[in-house]
Amino acid sequence: MSTSMSPSKIGLEYVKTIGIVNNGLNGRGFANPYSILVGKDGRIFVLNRCDPNRAAAIRIGICNIDDEYLGEFGKGSGSGDGQFVWAVCMAMDRSERIYITDEYNHRVTIYDSSGQYISHWGTYGAEKGQINGPAGIAIDSQDNLFLVDQHNSRVQKFSLDGNFIGAWGSFGSGPGEFNLPWGLATDKVGNVYVADWRNDRIQKFSNHGEFVAQFGSSGSGEGQFQRPTGLVIDADGYIYVADWGNERVQVLDSDGKLQIVLKGEATVSKWGEEYFASNPEEKIGRDNSDLVPELPDHLKTAYHISSQTEPYFWGPVGVALDFEGNLYVVETNRHRFQVYRRI
Amino acid sequence: MTSVKKDKNLIVIQLSGGNDYLNTVVPHGDGKYYDSRSVVNIPQDSVLDLDGKIGFNPSMKAMKSLWDQGKVAVINGIGYEEPNRSHFRSMDIWHTAEPNAIGREGWLGRVIRDLDPKGENVLTGINFGRGLPRALGCPGVPVASVGDLETYGLFPDLKDEDLRMFTLEAFSRMYGGALGRDPVIDLLSQTGQGALKGADILRTAPEIYQSDVEYATDALSQRVKNISQVLHADLGSRILYTQHGSFDTHSGEIITHAKLWEEVDRAVGCLMDDLQEHGREQDASILIFSEFGRRIRDNGSGSDHGSGGVAFLIGGSVKGGLYGEYPSLSEAEQLEGDLKSNNDFRSTYTDILEDWLDLDAVPITNGTFEKLGLFAS
Amino acid sequence: MISKDRSLMAHLLRRTGFGANPDELEAYLEKGYEKAVEEILHPSDPGNMPDDLIRRYHVEQSELRDLAGSAAYWMYRMISTRCPMEEKIALFWHGLFATGYAKLNQARSLLNQVDMFRKKGLGNYETLLLELSQDPAMIVWLDNNENHSDAINENYGRELLELFSMGIGNYSEDDIKECARAFTGWSLGNPEYMAVRASKDSIWPYGRIAWHFKYMEEDHDDGLKTFLGETGKFNGEDIISIIVKQESTANFIATRLFQFFGSDEVTDEGNEVIQSMVDTYFASGYEIRDMLWTLFNSDFFKSDNAMFSRVKNPVEMVVGAIRMAGNYQAPVLGIEQVSNTMLYMGQGLLQPPTVEGWHEGVEWIDSGSLVERINFAAKELSNVNSPGIRSIIERLEVMSGEGTLTPSDLTDQCLDLLGPIKVSDETRNVLVQYAELHGNLDLRGHKLGDQSEQQVGNMLRLVAATKEYQLA
Repeated sequence: MSTSMSPSKIGLEYVKTIGIVNNGLNGRGFANPYSILVGKDGRIFVLNRCDPNRAAAIRIGICNIDDEYLGEFGKGSGSGDGQFVWAVCMAMDRSERIYITDEYNHRVTIYDSSGQYISHWGTYGAEKGQINGPAGIAIDSQDNLFLVDQHNSRVQKFSLDGNFIGAWGSFGSGPGEFNLPWGLATDKVGNVYVADWRNDRIQKFSNHGEFVAQFGSSGSGEGQFQRPTGLVIDADGYIYVADWGNERVQVLDSDGKLQIVLKGEATVSKWGEEYFASNPEEKIGRDNSDLVPELPDHLKTAYHISSQTEPYFWGPVGVALDFEGNLYVVETNRHRFQVYRRI
Repeated sequence: MTSVKKDKNLIVIQLSGGNDYLNTVVPHGDGKYYDSRSVVNIPQDSVLDLDGKIGFNPSMKAMKSLWDQGKVAVINGIGYEEPNRSHFRSMDIWHTAEPNAIGREGWLGRVIRDLDPKGENVLTGINFGRGLPRALGCPGVPVASVGDLETYGLFPDLKDEDLRMFTLEAFSRMYGGALGRDPVIDLLSQTGQGALKGADILRTAPEIYQSDVEYATDALSQRVKNISQVLHADLGSRILYTQHGSFDTHSGEIITHAKLWEEVDRAVGCLMDDLQEHGREQDASILIFSEFGRRIRDNGSGSDHGSGGVAFLIGGSVKGGLYGEYPSLSEAEQLEGDLKSNNDFRSTYTDILEDWLDLDAVPITNGTFEKLGLFAS
Repeated sequence: MISKDRSLMAHLLRRTGFGANPDELEAYLEKGYEKAVEEILHPSDPGNMPDDLIRRYHVEQSELRDLAGSAAYWMYRMISTRCPMEEKIALFWHGLFATGYAKLNQARSLLNQVDMFRKKGLGNYETLLLELSQDPAMIVWLDNNENHSDAINENYGRELLELFSMGIGNYSEDDIKECARAFTGWSLGNPEYMAVRASKDSIWPYGRIAWHFKYMEEDHDDGLKTFLGETGKFNGEDIISIIVKQESTANFIATRLFQFFGSDEVTDEGNEVIQSMVDTYFASGYEIRDMLWTLFNSDFFKSDNAMFSRVKNPVEMVVGAIRMAGNYQAPVLGIEQVSNTMLYMGQGLLQPPTVEGWHEGVEWIDSGSLVERINFAAKELSNVNSPGIRSIIERLEVMSGEGTLTPSDLTDQCLDLLGPIKVSDETRNVLVQYAELHGNLDLRGHKLGDQSEQQVGNMLRLVAATKEYQLA
């Protein structure tokens, strides 16, 4: 389902949902996923933040568009090499190494795409080059690594192995200022976009940190945001924003004009079908249910609606594109991602 | 070592999350098992065979050895009518021996009350782990909950030994005053004194205990070691409880289930060795149970909540063998896709209560249940 | 000597909240008792930790699938709110209208119920009973989703009368049946699917699906009913109107409110207060707020007999110590371990053991729970790094003037700053002797964590370990 105010210049068509909740320590499924990436060969990497009871199982899961679960990697919870405590975002470099930020350990950890731990860098602090709560991360075509440094209210630029290059930002709500920023992305020409979470807006900067533009304001109207968490820019300059607090994804053109609003329309995934095959009584109950019910007034906030309406996005925290421009939206509270085809 | 008639001890290891019966005692001789469990199964040649038809999960090496010595009773198809597939509710049912209403008293809480009606020994029943499982809970019955035996007691965060001593001493004086002023204050005084005494006594256990057995370092093994230390310190503890998990293997079951059972098996093996070394094999029995079994069909990665499970009773006084019936996997015999149980768990409780602990079972199990004959007379 | 005003205000703040640190106590003292009561009973602007921050860092509190995170979510609220009365009244109703996770396997619906208690719990009792009857967690808990016009299920009808309003002996079995008939059709959306998921604790495939009330008109028995002597084509709300008119309802509610906010035991004096609360119930048109106003302004409540006449429940124990120490003011890793502590003490939030809730008073105390209670409070209050404890150290430094504090003064100051807490002479003597071990307290030029600060921490630890600290 795609809706827009004035005729949209692009189209997105729902394809499928992949996922199932995994409350164990391994195996197919996801556990409060926080980020998603698609590699060149179509392998899909999902970062499982995991709740504290299952922290030992913090991992990156790998699957493909055909619902094959290809494996997982991670070394559990902690501060040792390769471990995470609050893993939050991922980025991939051109050698397909994966960079994961940990906002508790204040560092970037690097794995290769076969799951081998490589290294980590980052020290806690407020000096240039030090980090306090890394979140969004992206790598441009020149191998510059941009990092959101949320508690220092800034964006920092590093080399891939963590050498400081530059930084910009301070706390506030003016241009170039941030309030607990979260996601970050770059476009084809190296501009840097930040999901300025608590300012309910997107900010666009040049590769060197000069403020270019800002999009959005607080609210649930069209083109407004409520705590945007993640974003990705396609080759045409369209901006896909995970509008987390409004439980939706909004697509803007490069001038910031709203094109499409997606609410999510998940269907049962293949892994879900496998579950129902061995639990038929639940399938029967489900088939007799209205999965998009009418709700009483006091439950009509986006968050509550999504908690009751299974097809809708719930906690859409990260977005990714594959090499064909298809969109992947990962939902923390539903342990799945929905795929939209670009049409 | 002189052989003195010792009080019988019951050790309970609760497997939390719903242990998968079919992959614990594997019906490797039944083709339907491999049909239903096309992914989540134990290959026939890995199974530790018991009687040509069923066998143990390959992780259960020590238990297999104990089985060969006749010390393991396998209670097949244990459960209760109208099975409940919710963790909380089903575990409550096992804990309170009350499938049809919400019970208020744990069966072992009642046991502790019957063993020590005046509450003279606060260490009669101990849970190893934090919190108190409902099984041990009974209003007015003191039960100790020991997270870590080495540091158990008041002010465990006080590392400075001298400071801790002074503080405990002050505590003892505050709580040791004359009674008779106010019932609430008096209760606090008595309870505080009892807790202090209990902690003092418990802390001597690791010092008294001596053994050649080396327990593994994982959490369950350490708790079972604590159980052994307390048991062998002769502090009057009769009921010793711990739990392990999570056995709720909805996905990635093969690896997780194998690891969990490795841990249980290792801990049980060490404990039995320890008991043997101290000549107490005849005086302790180990009950292993879970709140339900899992579905007959797997879901491609694991298995989901089912019903009808297996329990084990292990010990030198146990009459080893197979009890109950192994439930049929045929469609006609299934209970909504689950195994159908054929003996009520309260029968096992009755065996333990009457033949092991020498107590009247009926008030504890809320009814009369036929025994299985689990103990050698 | 601690002034009567100070003791009284601390007592009020313990009962209507989780106690007060010295700053909070002084702020209320400035307002004066009557004004404080008014303000407390009209909570507004709680200013608690915002949801977006909580959900960003605690994924489990964003999803609220499992118990641990959900209990922690409520705990954050209790710790950070400026209106603890909202939380106490929610806790009161949560214990009285006890609805437990064990059967529902749904934490979100329970938290929604708690939120309803927070919003409506001080208001009109008739409205509250109506909200309760439409609360999906309660509906599933007492099987009202199985209460059909052609197959009555009496569970909710019975408990509504027995446990939530009139109390046993004040109605007949027929009244129960008629009551149940009136509530047929009061169900939830997608009831069969939700019920099968609850019974199996199913989270598949995509986590939990929350619940909402749905009235199934076609399933409602709209025939004539006779309830407590009145006849009509009663629906649920009509039954509730009749229930709230009853003297037994007023007595029941007044007694339970008295026991939770007034005193564990009901003496003759207490009975008089309860009677005046009953009078208020009718005079005000069934307003809980007014009944509590009557209680808090009664002579009994303000007397020595009422102070420290309740055993703190585990929530008061844990949250009280945390608020005093000033910790957990921002999302922090490990918070659910702290909320588990209340469970180990015997009161797991969102999981009352039965529909009877928790048995309060001395039943909180047994050898296991007492050790947990003392250890938690002692550890929390002895940590000199915590903001609240640092604030206490600063105050002690000021009180020392240019010099030092004698053991006797240190003891009295600590008892005052943590309360004030009234202790017996025996307890006080032990505390003073303990303080004497290290001589006078010299905080001049103190640095973070040094010996003099540790001395304060050790003193606070021992005060937290007293018998009297267990009481509210």
